[in-house]
Amino acid sequence: MPVFKAPFNGYSVKFSPFYESQLAVATAQNFGILGNGRLHVLQLSPTPSNPSQSITEISSFDTADGVYDCCWSESHDSLIVAAVADGSVKLYDLSLPPTANPIRSLHEHTREVHSVDYNVVRKDSFLSSSWDDTIKLWTVDRPASVRTFKEHAYCVYSAAWNPRHADVFASASGDCTARIWDVREPGSTMILPAHEFEILSCDWNKYDDCVIATASVDKSIKVWDVRSFRVPVAVLNGHGYAVRKVKFSPHRGSVIASCSYDMTVCLWDYMVEDSLIGRYDHHTEFAVGLDMSVLVDGLLASTGWDELVYVWQHGMDPRAP
Amino acid sequence: MAMRELVTGGAACAVPGSSSSSSNPLGALANAFMGSSSKTQERLREIPTSTTIPSDGSAYVGNGEPLSVLPGSELDHPPQLNAQGSAFLEGFHSADQNRLADVWDEIQRPQVNFPLEHTQLQPDMHGPPQRVLSSFLHSFVNSSHGVPFRPASLPVLGLSEGDKRCIRDRSSIMARHFFADKSEDFINAQVNALLSSLEIDNDIRARGPVPGRFRELEEYWNESQGMRHGPNPADGWVAEFAQHPIGHRDPSTWVQSFEQEHGANGWASEFEHEHAQLASMDHMRGATVSNLAAMEQTRMLANTLAQNNDPKFQNSKFFQFVSKMSRGEITIEDNQIKPATLSAPGDWATEYQQQYSGGQTWADQFVHEELSKGPSGWVNEFAAERGHVDDEWVNEFSKLHVNDWAEEFGHQVAEGAFGDSSADNWANAYDEYLNEQTALKQQSESSHGVYVFSDLNPYVGHPNPLKEGQELFRKGLLSEAVLALEAEVLKNPDNAEGWRLLGIAHAENDDDQQAIAAMMRAQEADPTNLEVLLALGVSHTNELEQAAALKYLYSWLRHHPKYGTVVPPDQLDSLYYADVASYFNDAARMSPDDADVHIVLGVLYNLSREYDKAIESFQTALKLKPRDYSLWNKLGATQANSVQSADAILAYQQALDLKPNYVRAWANMGISYANQGLYEESIRYYVRALSMNPKADNAWQYLRISLSCASRNDMLEACDSRSLDVLQKEFPL
Repeated sequence: MPVFKAPFNGYSVKFSPFYESQLAVATAQNFGILGNGRLHVLQLSPTPSNPSQSITEISSFDTADGVYDCCWSESHDSLIVAAVADGSVKLYDLSLPPTANPIRSLHEHTREVHSVDYNVVRKDSFLSSSWDDTIKLWTVDRPASVRTFKEHAYCVYSAAWNPRHADVFASASGDCTARIWDVREPGSTMILPAHEFEILSCDWNKYDDCVIATASVDKSIKVWDVRSFRVPVAVLNGHGYAVRKVKFSPHRGSVIASCSYDMTVCLWDYMVEDSLIGRYDHHTEFAVGLDMSVLVDGLLASTGWDELVYVWQHGMDPRAP
Repeated sequence: MAMRELVTGGAACAVPGSSSSSSNPLGALANAFMGSSSKTQERLREIPTSTTIPSDGSAYVGNGEPLSVLPGSELDHPPQLNAQGSAFLEGFHSADQNRLADVWDEIQRPQVNFPLEHTQLQPDMHGPPQRVLSSFLHSFVNSSHGVPFRPASLPVLGLSEGDKRCIRDRSSIMARHFFADKSEDFINAQVNALLSSLEIDNDIRARGPVPGRFRELEEYWNESQGMRHGPNPADGWVAEFAQHPIGHRDPSTWVQSFEQEHGANGWASEFEHEHAQLASMDHMRGATVSNLAAMEQTRMLANTLAQNNDPKFQNSKFFQFVSKMSRGEITIEDNQIKPATLSAPGDWATEYQQQYSGGQTWADQFVHEELSKGPSGWVNEFAAERGHVDDEWVNEFSKLHVNDWAEEFGHQVAEGAFGDSSADNWANAYDEYLNEQTALKQQSESSHGVYVFSDLNPYVGHPNPLKEGQELFRKGLLSEAVLALEAEVLKNPDNAEGWRLLGIAHAENDDDQQAIAAMMRAQEADPTNLEVLLALGVSHTNELEQAAALKYLYSWLRHHPKYGTVVPPDQLDSLYYADVASYFNDAARMSPDDADVHIVLGVLYNLSREYDKAIESFQTALKLKPRDYSLWNKLGATQANSVQSADAILAYQQALDLKPNYVRAWANMGISYANQGLYEESIRYYVRALSMNPKADNAWQYLRISLSCASRNDMLEACDSRSLDVLQKEFPL
């Protein structure tokens, strides 16, 4: 399984929704505490369906502060949005040389931007969430945000669009709540006091538009049905430290992937009793970035503070040569 | 058409970058960061879109729908009416058509270099300071565990305020993710230790909540949403107010303490902490009083991590990074990264506070300033020092929170979530809160650096209180001795010996504040008293105030009848460590049987972190004075400081065998057990120390940490309420 070594600590990895062989990786120097950042665009070779050979870098973009997250445009294959720790959201166009990038730098957040997510339904807008407690809605054609959602009382670590409804998204915050929003409404439509500790990540089930998962510093992942949110549908215990990212499988409705400060990546099936269906122990520092390919069933990518990016097929050893 | 024009107009109105022209790359980085909150500074610099994508020229124009169609857009910004938007439009309207066409052409040719962001980028990436910092941090991370990291020489490293703020804020937030299992105290201490070792003052704490802090907010929300139950909403509001906005942005950390301790003591002690930090900013180099506990906790963390059986954690560079930084193995002083020769923390400091009058340097500082300027001078300086910080805080506070709060509050009131009178209740409660705060501030200001006499002193009127005090001290009845000696100095305020012994009694009783106040009075009364000079030299060493320490130690030598000749006179203004050390080495050669000289040498070697030599000096001194319990304690502290906690325990035991009521040695014993991860054991020793002197604030602090680390949260309440009987019953020694 191929491995890529980045110069900085990995923060996020995302498969391209257009090409099964392309990945974007967000990295930050000095564990993201101080220093520069770099956005890498990687190519799996030789063939996408056999990604076992190598990873090569197609291009990379430097930033003056750590890059905490990135996402691919759903409308255009060469556009990447980056969440930068200096509070900016930057747009990069792969078809332009690095010197001509970023094509935009959107400077509205007053603190570190921690996540970005591209709308998969309308494909014209994206969200950024920040340590300034807000979420902002942007379109690529506008120099300023369309809306600011300010209700959370602490850092918003993640905001994720609903996979079915163009106007609905969820957010996860250090104020120990997850919130559901409809951009047509003035405020959040639901407040989910999902954990007793900070919530670092959330994601929607790709097959049931009412189910979300939340991941928390309390080491657990909880699955919720927003129609009856008083009790979680499932509680997934097994990580030894805070769960940093949670992601529903694009291919199987009940499968969830997660990565944690316990340095592992776990796969879960929340519908079955023994939910933990896979654990990958390949990182040697905090595992903080994770993605599942939409185009290749079972293809996983992870990155961590060990500066490594792994791409592997579920069931295989990420470190296998 | 509108869309296309808007798009191309953006190129015509692109504003050249202005915020990143600093010649110092890190400064530029800081600008970039600091500038992030200033929207005027950071106008859009790129063309708003690139249409070089061959397939679809309007790729970024979404679905081609008019802007206002995007759902929800009307809820926030009326389309394009904010500052950026209007500048954007203005640029478009002012651009003439030819220019527009040119720009359009340019966009079609991506190879043309636009004035993009690279002005901001490149210098940062390759500037020497950044490279040095980076390689420094990484080699630091890579250096093997336990080996002090000593870079040969580093160029000036301009860590700007922005950089420091990054480190401070980010490490605060991230620590709450890594150390979720630990108590809030522990996390705070951990972050404080990290920051203090980097010489980053933590008084503009932007972020650092108790996880779960906002549950109250949730209750509040739920109440407003019809699920009303629980406490009086006005109380909730006050509590929320107390917790939320100030804790977020307050320049001082006392509110955090308030949150944790909910008591007057919390306020007072945190306030002291704040003073200590202020003093440290302007006057001190190295650890402050407040950091001592933090450093202790850091050691505990290192031990905790070391006990994690997972080899991955043992090998984690990140954990090594954090714990090494936290141990103060590097510092950044005057914008230079240095090996932390001056920031020997922990036991060492604790120990010297005990033996001599050491301890809280701010108190020293206060007294100094008090003497030179009088109280009002000090107050003015305090106000001046605080000025800009306050402004910054106020700005941030008002920018980020007040409005929200006001809105929310108004909202709730409008909805009738509060009863009719609750707004008044709230106002009253808030007034009370402010009054209490003011009163506590005054109270703690007045208590700093000024010796506070006991109220009811049976020894007042005693015919010879000094003799009585000496006798009681000899018997180890420290609290009684303090009363007798207080009676003495009330009777004879110029009695240097009375003050000195009083200082030592307080120090041995683990009350540093009183100890240092007394010792300063002793020096006032007798400026050349050798014992007092030595005590002050040691206490300043203890506080890592090298210059002051050297001054007192030099004076000691200077006024010593035997050694007055080995030192050149009148060097007080230009003392160097190496010189003073060599004078003392001369003195030691002159009379190798003078234990005092070896003691001072041991102190000096601690100052330079040459622990092996320090241990040797103390051991030499012990051969000459084997029954000097305080010397055993010093030896123990030095051993603890050089990571020999097991040996330290033996030394402390010697001290306690000689002097069973030696409160500080009991407390130090606890520290050494805690350092080895034996928290249950450490609790017993702390409790023993406290049972002998419940006023030993540091020991309460240590006890609380150990209780958290031992997962004895059930006893935290007893600790907070200082219920010694409960604790003694639970943790017999």
